[in-house]
Amino acid sequence: MNARRRPWRVLAAALTASGLALGAAAAVAAPGQPDASQLAVARAVRAPAAVKAAAACNPNASSLRPSGPPQVTSGSFMAKIRARGYLIAGVDQSTYHFGFLNPLTNQIEGFDIDVIRAVAKAVFGHADASTIHYKAISDAQRIPDIISGSVDIVAHTMTITCDRLQQVDFSAVYFEAHQKVLVLKDSAAASLASLHGQKVCATTGSDSVTKIVAVHATAVQVPYWTDCLVKLQQGDVAAISTDDSILDGLAAQDPYTKLIGAKLTNEPYGLAISRQHPEFVRFVNAVLQQYESGGQWKASYQHWLGPPQPPPALQYAS
Amino acid sequence: MTASVGVKPGQHALAPRGRGAGWRSRLDGAATPTRLGLLLAVLVLFSLAWGVLAGLTATQHASAAADVVAVSEPLSLDAEQIYTSLSDAGATEASAFLAGGLEPAAARQRYQADITQAGIKIEAAGALVGSSAARTQLPGHPANREASAGQAIGDDLAILSGNLWAYADEVGTARTDNRLGLPLGAAYLREASTRLRDKLLPAAGDIYTRESALLTSSSAQATGLPLVVVTVLAGLGIGYVLFRSSRWLARHTHRVVNYGLLLAALAGLVSLAWLAGTFTLGRADLLHAQQQGSVPAQAFARAEVAALQAHADESLTLIDNSGEDSYQQDFVAETKLLGPGPGTLLAATGSSQAAAQAQAWYQAHKALRAQDNGGNHGGAVTSAQTGAAAQAFSKLSATLSEGITTHQATFDSSARSGRDAFTGLAIGMVVAALVMVAGCAWGLTRRLAEYR
Repeated sequence: MNARRRPWRVLAAALTASGLALGAAAAVAAPGQPDASQLAVARAVRAPAAVKAAAACNPNASSLRPSGPPQVTSGSFMAKIRARGYLIAGVDQSTYHFGFLNPLTNQIEGFDIDVIRAVAKAVFGHADASTIHYKAISDAQRIPDIISGSVDIVAHTMTITCDRLQQVDFSAVYFEAHQKVLVLKDSAAASLASLHGQKVCATTGSDSVTKIVAVHATAVQVPYWTDCLVKLQQGDVAAISTDDSILDGLAAQDPYTKLIGAKLTNEPYGLAISRQHPEFVRFVNAVLQQYESGGQWKASYQHWLGPPQPPPALQYAS
Repeated sequence: MTASVGVKPGQHALAPRGRGAGWRSRLDGAATPTRLGLLLAVLVLFSLAWGVLAGLTATQHASAAADVVAVSEPLSLDAEQIYTSLSDAGATEASAFLAGGLEPAAARQRYQADITQAGIKIEAAGALVGSSAARTQLPGHPANREASAGQAIGDDLAILSGNLWAYADEVGTARTDNRLGLPLGAAYLREASTRLRDKLLPAAGDIYTRESALLTSSSAQATGLPLVVVTVLAGLGIGYVLFRSSRWLARHTHRVVNYGLLLAALAGLVSLAWLAGTFTLGRADLLHAQQQGSVPAQAFARAEVAALQAHADESLTLIDNSGEDSYQQDFVAETKLLGPGPGTLLAATGSSQAAAQAQAWYQAHKALRAQDNGGNHGGAVTSAQTGAAAQAFSKLSATLSEGITTHQATFDSSARSGRDAFTGLAIGMVVAALVMVAGCAWGLTRRLAEYR
């Protein structure tokens, strides 16, 4: 979700994934930005490579396989975190039921936060609020904060995409969302297509905008999803379109809204981790394996999101 | 009473001076009674002219001084209070919001008081602007050129009253949602803050700027020199005419003193001294009111508003979920304006105490941001609410508020004593002029009577 897909980045990602030596080398050397030579190659081999590579990059199976149960090996990034005394997690503060600041407790809570707690517990061996420092960040800050190292991990309704995989590593998919549409209960609209010519809200730079524009609706862009709900309540927009996971959270805050239409996209969520720490990616995947098999995933889902569902099957690149 | 030196009037034929043609020689050639009659007419006219001129000058300055106290000052005070209470409401609500669903009662009351105060002052300013608009419609009123400013202020007031309730409504929704534990509350608070920043504060700031300019211009009207200088010169001219007249009379009537003219001269002198003295005192008071009162009070008020806005930014950055975001950028921009440093708002206040307190607050803010960016959101919130940052800010805010109050009081007392200095001046000038007319008439008709 929320990726700004630039054609050249997709191409660069595709090239790397398809195993072109130049692309791969450049991506490892400079995880942030593809360099000029990479772009030149990407442009030169545009059409055939894109088709071939799109099939090769699979966001659902892009992560590193864990090597057994989670273990804090000496010299690893996990050991560093343990020595520091706390895990720094980049989280959302305004997405209801995934990552939100609960005004009643003044704590950040939600489905994403439960996953972070499981990771912290695995690192420190005990569950203690002081072992996690939450840093509330915006959508746009997620990748820069991972790259700069100002957060260890991001749990922020973050969709794994091929272009993001160029910049950061992701855990295995821990949640699957789909873009849908939220309208007021009295709306006659049945799908996004029936909203053409009307105003539909999404956050600035989010991928949801692409689908909105595609049906010739006017995209109204605001900083946060809750801002969209304010606009919907005030009658400034006819609908909001984004991941159903986020829309469910908005609908929970206003009983006079409903979700409509078919699933427009697949949005596999992953935990973002720096490419500098593959051992931490494997560690987190091991934690996720225990988290799912131990029933905690189901419990958290039931607590925050609704009737129990089976967790997504964990898949790896190799 | 006219003193006689033994020579009968008319005994001396007035010899022509041989200056050739012209009014002077024609006058010299005329019979003495005619000349006395002419002199009487001229002196009466001059006395009346003095009365009109001095009375007009006194009225102009007295009404400008009264305008400063009765209209401009209250308007600029209203504007200042609208501006600061709106800023304070924003900062208070943002900070209270950080506390979660249960807002501290004190913050709630302070917010309520701010909104009520702003509402009352908007209404009061509306009424005053109406009355001052009526005033400026008087023909020849020097404030006519300010009519367009009044129009702009009226527009701003309309923006204020239109958006104030919408703002309060959004804050109310934000509170309700917050109390229900919904993150939607924070979105409503952002919406309300945006309305405050984009609509309410610019309008309030514009009114304040315009009212401050109007205050300065009515003060300048009350303390302006040109009219008074002209009047005093005219008074001296008339005094000279009176002096020459009595010399002429003494020469031609052989009486040393004409008591009528003496009375007129005395009345003229007294009125001149009264006018000059009153103006000097009143002007000094009004200038003092401006330099030691309204100018520093405005400087403190502007610093207070900038500080409050930065304080709101500090809280909003923590409420918002994006760390170094637009609110933090705004914080940096506001504190840059605030100073201390050359050309900043704090430099304009001249308060070294406020400057030191601002620096202390910035230090605490820096630590707060470091905590928040380091993942210690809870610690940062505590600092912003009750901890180091909150305490440092409230010290600065107290200094700035006190600066406003102190200088407002100075302005108030000085401007009032300046206005009071002009009390009765216009009537005094008219009475003095009438005494001069009576003196001249009496003194000269006595001489004229001797020819019948």
